[in-house]
Formats: sequence, structure tokens, C-alpha cells
Amino acid sequence: MQNLASHEDWKSCFSEVAPGLLLFARQWVQSAADAEDIVQEAFVKFWRRNHKIENRALLYAAVRSIALDFIRRDSRRARREASAISETDEFIEPQFEFEDDTQRALAEAIDVLPCEQREVVVMKIWNELTFAEIAGVLGISQNTAASRYRYALAALRNTLQPR
Amino acid sequence: MNDFSEIENELRKLRPAQPSPILFERIEEAIAEHCRASVSDARSGWWRFTETPYKWGFGLAAAVALILFAAISMEHQQDGGKEIAQISRESETAPLRSSAKESTSSDKFVPAGATRLVYNTRNEGLQFARGSGQPLRRLRYQTRETWQWRNPTTGASLRVSYPSEEVVLIPVSGQ
Repeated sequence: MQNLASHEDWKSCFSEVAPGLLLFARQWVQSAADAEDIVQEAFVKFWRRNHKIENRALLYAAVRSIALDFIRRDSRRARREASAISETDEFIEPQFEFEDDTQRALAEAIDVLPCEQREVVVMKIWNELTFAEIAGVLGISQNTAASRYRYALAALRNTLQPR
Repeated sequence: MNDFSEIENELRKLRPAQPSPILFERIEEAIAEHCRASVSDARSGWWRFTETPYKWGFGLAAAVALILFAAISMEHQQDGGKEIAQISRESETAPLRSSAKESTSSDKFVPAGATRLVYNTRNEGLQFARGSGQPLRRLRYQTRETWQWRNPTTGASLRVSYPSEEVVLIPVSGQ
């Protein structure tokens, strides 16, 4: 019961990883509230099982698994919401805090990356996972993880290069 | 320094949106609830762990005691003996010595005493018996019963001890 014994520590752990986890969860869900639900479930599960926070890969694997369950379970609702959003051009909560137009463009470019590349970039840049950890989360080889990362960065660089 | 260092730096400058303060409250609540549930599970887990061996132990000890007692009684009847075990209904621990005459046979055990120690009494509240309007107080006694036999010739003794539980309903009269 290591985590329970020092259960106040969860706040500092969570503060550190929460923004990255939410960004990771937002890949699969449109709303920030749904992403928070997923992150909450994953983090509480992780904490209950007394995993050490150093085993971040397990935490991301839990977020991914819960998010995939969520969209399977909620696919009908998600389709309804997606069509409503496209019809009304509803405001979607931003995933980043922008400081300028360059950052906004970069965020938009990240959004249009293929999912398998985007998740690698999110884990690598904003969660500072190693390729070995990313490979563990996704069940792929380290080389594949590194290669997806490079493809993603190349795509982003091309998007941002002045035409 | 790889070719992507510039874009990596740009990406790192981009800060992900912060979680809402409500998320912290929700997680705190979920973790606290889990702590409460773990304590409760630990208690019930202990009960589950102890309850079954307790029942088995009780059953086995009672069976052994009955068999021994029946065997000894039959032997005494055959010999015309009159030894009877004395059962104390009080909670004292001192065994009662049988005043029966000692046997001369070397393989004969005679009852030497019995104790019944009540180590816990629990008041389980009032209840109404079927068809009765009078309330009954339900008391559960947890006891340990010990039976002893002694071979007067060899001095050998046999002792069987087992836990038991008794529920007693006491009528409650209104004032």
C-alpha cells in the first residue's frame, strides 16, 4: 500500500503529468470533459494498483486503453456529437495555450497528423517518454516508434515552412 | 543535434491546456473512497480468512470430542462405571475434578473436567419472534469449551478444546 500510505503525494504526481495526459486523451475524444473522465479513471486505477509514478508507460497505456473503450462504448454518441459540431461549427476547447499565431498553426498541424504519429509525438514531447516506453505503451518496436516520430516532425516542419 | 531540433523546440514551447480544478477534487474523492473501501475489504477479508478455518476447526474438534466421549461412556457402561463428566455453565476456567471412583484398568480414561469460558458477548439487538408480539433480545456468546480425561493408572491425560458460539434470545419485558 505504498501509494495509499503517502496518498497526499498523488497531487504532486498528478499535477506534473496531468496536462500531458489530457493532451494524450484528447486524441480520441472531442471534449475536454471526456478527456478528463478518461484521465481520472486511468490515474485512479494506476494509483490504486500502487504503481510507482516512474512507471509512466503503464499510466499512458491505461489512458489509451480506457480511451479506446470509451470510444467503442460511446461511438454512437460520438458520431452524433461530431455531426452536430460540423453542422454548427461549434467551438471546440483548445488543447493548447497559444501565445501567437505560429503556435496556433502548429497546434492545428498537430491535429491533422495521422493518429499513430500524433500519439507518439504527444508522448515524446509533452510527456517526455523514451522510445522504449512509447513502444511499450503502443505494443510496437522502438524503431517503429522512432520512425513514426520522425515522420510526424517532418510533416510538421513542412507545414510550418514559409511558402 | 538532429534535423528536427528546431521543430522540437517549437513544439516544446507549446503548452498543453491545464486540467480543471474539479478534476483534482474528483480524483481526491475517488482515492479517498478507495482508501475507505480498502479498509473495509481488509476487515471483511480477515473475516473471510478466519471464518472458514474457524468453522472447520470447530466442527472437527466437536466431532472428536463426541466420538471420544461416546467411546468412553460406552466403555464405562460396560464396566458398570458411573463416571460422568461435569459441565460447568459458568465462565470460570478451573476444571472440575470428577469425584468418580478411579478405574483400575490401565487403558481407561475417565472424565476429569470440563470448562466453558465465555470470552465475548455481543448484543445483536431486539427482534420479534414469529407469531409473538413480545420483543426478544438476541445475545451471541462466543465461548471456548474444554474437555479433559485422565487415565488414573498411567496419569496420562487427554484434553480437547474448541471454540463455540451460542445465540440466546431473552424476552424483554416492558416496564
